[in-house]
Amino acid sequence: MSTATGSSARRGGVLRQMLAERVRTLLWWSVAIAALAAVVGASYPAVRSVGGQIDQLMRRLPEGVLELMAASGGLVSPAGYLNSRFYSGLFPVLLLVFGIMVAAWTIAGAEREGTLEPLLANPVSRTRVALERYAGAIVMVAVLAGVGTAVFVLLRGPFELTELSLGRLAAAGVGVFLLVSVFTSLTFAAGAAGAGKGGAIAAGAGTAAVTYLVFALSAFVPFFRNLRWLSPWYWFLSPSPLTDGWTAQALWPPLVVIVPAVVVGTIWFARRDLR
Amino acid sequence: MADDAALIDITGLTKRFGTLTAVDSLDLQVRAGEIYGLLGPNGAGKSTTIRTLMGFLRPTGGRAGLLGGTADDLTIRARVGYVGGDVVLDRGLRAGDLLRWYAGLRGGIDPARVDRLCALLSLDPTRRIGELSSGNRQKVAIVQAFMHEPGVLVLDEPTAGLDPLLQRGVLRLVRERRDAGAAVLFSSHLLPEVEDVADRVGILRAGRLVREDTIANLREIARHRLELRFATEVPSGLFDAIPGVTSAETDGRTARVVVDGSVADLMRRVAGYGVDRIVSRDEDLEDIFFAYYQDEDGGR
Repeated sequence: MSTATGSSARRGGVLRQMLAERVRTLLWWSVAIAALAAVVGASYPAVRSVGGQIDQLMRRLPEGVLELMAASGGLVSPAGYLNSRFYSGLFPVLLLVFGIMVAAWTIAGAEREGTLEPLLANPVSRTRVALERYAGAIVMVAVLAGVGTAVFVLLRGPFELTELSLGRLAAAGVGVFLLVSVFTSLTFAAGAAGAGKGGAIAAGAGTAAVTYLVFALSAFVPFFRNLRWLSPWYWFLSPSPLTDGWTAQALWPPLVVIVPAVVVGTIWFARRDLR
Repeated sequence: MADDAALIDITGLTKRFGTLTAVDSLDLQVRAGEIYGLLGPNGAGKSTTIRTLMGFLRPTGGRAGLLGGTADDLTIRARVGYVGGDVVLDRGLRAGDLLRWYAGLRGGIDPARVDRLCALLSLDPTRRIGELSSGNRQKVAIVQAFMHEPGVLVLDEPTAGLDPLLQRGVLRLVRERRDAGAAVLFSSHLLPEVEDVADRVGILRAGRLVREDTIANLREIARHRLELRFATEVPSGLFDAIPGVTSAETDGRTARVVVDGSVADLMRRVAGYGVDRIVSRDEDLEDIFFAYYQDEDGGR
């Protein structure tokens, strides 16, 4: 066998290793996401052809239901269709499952399986391990968000989605990435702070579920309407980047949660006892 | 060697977990070129001491020093080799990939050195760690701890799961590092192993160091169990008030005597009574070891 030679420890070694170990997983997830996006996109021409009937049906639904699906403009428009079928549920939920799973492993999972201590016996700081592994989780979520978006960008013509500009599709891709990154970051931060793997998953998935509920009920219940500004789902879906493009609401509020969560989690991890 | 040459310097170390005090005001130094055997029953605080020394746990009080600093300093950690108890390495990786990764994190290591260690321990680096037996996983842990020729070795039961031949191989590696000037902290449950390899031992009990001495000194004071067979019935009261004799049982022409330290006084007393045969059942340090494990106050 041979080993690397060099004079000093190279940066990125923890991140590279994490990505190398997950290339195959990421590939399978990418294939699944691309296939789902393709099925959703390929179905649009058929939906559009019966558009009149669907819109008639939709007019009978309460306004809140359409708002929930980010389809206030109707289900038959390209934006309304993609939001209702893909961006308001299926896509972010799939990315959330992946992001939370990986983020829970970065610190808490590795700590539980016992592989964190041998790694930290090497001359690599806790801060570096935390940040490189967090970066690994975020890079993988970005790849999946990019794959889903790329399917619509590349097949806009055959899918009859040309009304959607590339800019709006890109804004939606970035928006869903930031939405998922909020919960991925909370999962990472809870694990880094010592919540354990179960606690980290509960932090990420629980916050995602509660904030979705706030958003979903805000269309019908005044109490939740007053709270919806707290929900990352509201930031992403009202208004949707597919209809309004690059909105400040979809871009900045997630960062206000992500950055402090990662900073606090990493600092806490650097100071606490390992389990 | 002067105290200032201590490469491992634990001073007043206390570690509490809630109300439990795992390590209590521990002072322990290991000098360059010395192997220090850390003994103690389960829960005595050996692993807590070692994990605090490695920076995995934060001290409640005192200091766990390494090479003039602490393990938080990466330049110091670069010079330390560590084998933890209950070795868990990334199961999905091949042993060689893990060693290459760790070598990269250490800034690169001569491949020939890694190859030599793998050959010495009969480790196949192409196999996945998850497919290896616990003994073979232990070998991977040992290779990664020794491959950068560390100046300090911190070993928590490093031979667990290894067969006797490989145990001997690992102890040889430990001695090699000691002879090259490394300080070695070696925790173990296995007294013969520590006796074999350590220059000094410390016995931890309930987080406190209850005895610390060189192996040579401990041997000096070790209890001896002697069985004396006499030509005739053992006279009653023969073993009364002999300095060093802590207990004596007689059964016809046989006496079983436990002696603390020198047997000279005992020999003088029995000299005129026709001793046919003396069988020494010297159990080395085991008695001392158990005495410190069991006595409530840690004394004898």
